[in-house]
Amino acid sequence: MGFRRIWGVRAIYIWLCGLVLAGLMIFGNNTPASAAPRHYTDLEFPPLPEVRLPDYNRYELPNGLVVYLMEDHELPFISGTALVRVGDRWEPQTQVGLASLTGTVMRSGGTKQYTGDELNQLLEEGAASVEAGIGSDAGSVSFSSLTEDVEKVFGWFAGVLTEPVFAPEKLELAKSQSRGRIERRNDNPGQILGREFTKLIYGATSPYASLTEYATLDRIDRESLVKFHQQYFHPNNTMLGISGDFNPQQMQKLIQEKLGSWQPKQNLELPPLPEVNQVTIGGVFLIPQPRLNQSYVRIGHLGGMVKDRDYVPLNVLNEVMNSFGGRLFDEIRSRQGLAYDVYGFWSPQFDYPGVFVAGGQTRSETTVPFIKGILEEIDRLRTTPITPAELARAKDSTLNSFVFNFQTPNQTLSRLMTYAYYGYPQDFIFQYQKQVANVTAADIQRAAQGNFQPDKLVTLVVGNPETIQPPPNSSQSRGGGDRYYHSPRLAI
Amino acid sequence: MGKTGVAHFLEHLAFKGTTRIGTTDWQAERVLLDQLDQLDGQIREAIATGKDPKALQAEFAQVQAQADQYVKSNEFGQIISQAGGVGLNAATGTDFTLYFYNLPANKLELWFSLESERFLDPVFREFFKEKEVVLEERRTGIDNPIRRLLQTMQDQAFSVHPYKRPVIGYEEDIRNLTRQDVQEFFETHYVPSKLTIGIVGDVEPQQVKQLAEAYFGRYTPKAATPSTISPEPPQTAPKEFTLELDHQPVYVEGYHRPAINHPDNAVYEVIAKLMSDGRRSRLYSQLVEQQQVALSASGSNGYPGNKFAHMILFLAFPKPGVSLEQLAQSLQAEIIKIQQEPIDLRDLERVKKQFKAEVLASLGSNGGMASNLVEAEVKLGDWRKLFEIIDRVEAVTPEDIQRVAKATFTEANRTVGRLVSKK
Repeated sequence: MGFRRIWGVRAIYIWLCGLVLAGLMIFGNNTPASAAPRHYTDLEFPPLPEVRLPDYNRYELPNGLVVYLMEDHELPFISGTALVRVGDRWEPQTQVGLASLTGTVMRSGGTKQYTGDELNQLLEEGAASVEAGIGSDAGSVSFSSLTEDVEKVFGWFAGVLTEPVFAPEKLELAKSQSRGRIERRNDNPGQILGREFTKLIYGATSPYASLTEYATLDRIDRESLVKFHQQYFHPNNTMLGISGDFNPQQMQKLIQEKLGSWQPKQNLELPPLPEVNQVTIGGVFLIPQPRLNQSYVRIGHLGGMVKDRDYVPLNVLNEVMNSFGGRLFDEIRSRQGLAYDVYGFWSPQFDYPGVFVAGGQTRSETTVPFIKGILEEIDRLRTTPITPAELARAKDSTLNSFVFNFQTPNQTLSRLMTYAYYGYPQDFIFQYQKQVANVTAADIQRAAQGNFQPDKLVTLVVGNPETIQPPPNSSQSRGGGDRYYHSPRLAI
Repeated sequence: MGKTGVAHFLEHLAFKGTTRIGTTDWQAERVLLDQLDQLDGQIREAIATGKDPKALQAEFAQVQAQADQYVKSNEFGQIISQAGGVGLNAATGTDFTLYFYNLPANKLELWFSLESERFLDPVFREFFKEKEVVLEERRTGIDNPIRRLLQTMQDQAFSVHPYKRPVIGYEEDIRNLTRQDVQEFFETHYVPSKLTIGIVGDVEPQQVKQLAEAYFGRYTPKAATPSTISPEPPQTAPKEFTLELDHQPVYVEGYHRPAINHPDNAVYEVIAKLMSDGRRSRLYSQLVEQQQVALSASGSNGYPGNKFAHMILFLAFPKPGVSLEQLAQSLQAEIIKIQQEPIDLRDLERVKKQFKAEVLASLGSNGGMASNLVEAEVKLGDWRKLFEIIDRVEAVTPEDIQRVAKATFTEANRTVGRLVSKK
């Protein structure tokens, strides 16, 4: 299928540049005869053309850098991402925040050729960008540029990736920004909920839950950033994907020129992934926030991975639970009027166990009915097969909207790289499509029974203990050192 | 008056279906919905006159349960998602309500059928339940101190214009809304002359036109009611307010500015970008990097809308240990600089190029393009004006910036809001 639009965006750009007003037509001149309007049940639709993957080129440089190139000439932009096998899950727990600071200061601290301030100036004058960041299980440096400026921008991008100098004053600025965020991290109840729920599930000292603290920041100096960068940023630990308005030969030449001499690391060794266990099994916890009118609720337990056998039926189950026609939305929101926001998701990760979470916000007074309502729905999914209509809705939604997975070449490229990064087959999404088409109500119930574990569900409420009905029982203090963390008893 | 929030409430109810969608038996359901309206009126009257509403409330609950038997909850949205629709949602702002979703291109006619019926023949069922949902949505806003700060800003800065009010409505007003109120608002404002449609994707314009005539040609022509919105008189003295909340401090200041169709609009766009777009912007480079008084600082036009005269806001989060006064002084110094020193041409070129690239990038997705075109058509009277703004920005001079900054950033035109931490 092509990515045709009413008119070419490129034509608009040309027009924007004051040359021609080409192809910009809303309607033609001929007015056709009107068709008769029909109710939706009387409509028939032509089949969609089959999804065709845009062509791409994958190759490897002698230094081990894997490159993906995918052309897209619709807009005069080129963008690219270097995906690096790194993550804050590999930073020492005495230095939580190290990975994130490394990502930030790689960009802000400048390169051997340009200071951070010079880069800001150069990039912004060209309406371009280079950004770097390290998250929990991956790091990236990315750029975007107008076609005409790509040689320069790619050079700056390569500098940030391979030769950052970590200017000390920019590290100090980034640390002071981090301290400011620590001070403000209890301003937002949703943020408290997300953070503390993750701690309950993975444990406060798990790399998947641990927080940057004043003390961990104090232990991070420039030398730690330099070392962390040196440990992971190597061509043989990186893949580069570029999409946009380029000529492939020129782009390959540019990559060779800027990254060909990047030295690989011999005997590259990566640390093992952290172990994951659910540390809190069951229980209802309350974080008192007397200012709130609503309770922020999250219920869940440890989940699974995308490669698990039950990934497909559980994903279909997500459709059964959510959105218009979904059980939680229909029952808790529309029929009971208990919430504006209510959700339940099996939320797997690619290479470590994710979570199963449900929740939302409800007024303090209805906290208990809201939680009970969600628990009932979870239970019902385990005990009763979903109806044929629900199965059809869930499968059709996934299959009929499949085309939206291929809206732009950039989207396709980034998915391909994600699969490659985590070691999934390149055609994973098509395998998924086939499996969804074949999934049955029995598969789904089996998956719900095998994976939803009511005994393990942890419930966390951030809310106002004065107005929750029935009121929480006497406070039972909980260790863990967080001052927001006590009174773990609600009568559910 | 007294009916704030009705536009937003109607937007929620527009997902409840029609006489044919969302019900198993409209004729039977209809009677019950009318009964519910009557009972609701009687309950209000009982409460107002000090009578015991319990019996009426019990009857209400019973009738509501009966009515629920006929409801196919969220069938309208379900049809769309089952057909492969994604991103189904709607948004109500100060200036317009927008309904949007993406469908695979082969379902074009489905969009016409569903969307035309949606407003040809709507039924505002589950009205009382949805009112609770809206009240929940409102609570989420109330519990957010930043939103409260901004809400108070518009309330204080505007004296008569509807930009004073929260889009979601005052609680009392939402509670008092009836199905009749929504129906009246619908009949007054959901007229074909006020409806603009944008479709972008792999479709043939000829076919789109044909379908538009077939499906939306069914609407009865009706002139839009002339607007009775009073213009906001000029602010003549500085205003300020302080909120004490359980939250770290935040500073905001706002200045009135003319509407989006004013010839100086492009100058305001340039000023906002110059002040806060990117790491080279004045606020980031000065307040965050150099002086290190703020964790972040930004300026933006279009608060709370932009069809009418509105505000340009500057919002800043102080670094720990920095007082709001100190932060305000640093911000003020940057504003004075804009007024008194002509902007460096290199900076101006940078901002212009960034602006152009952003407009272009916003057209990168079909959804983005559709909403931009519709917005330009509705607010500026012509979708082509979306591109004219590029030329206007291109024409902005350093003198324009100083002239507009001097006229706008005056003490009398300023409203200051402070959020301070509750002790």
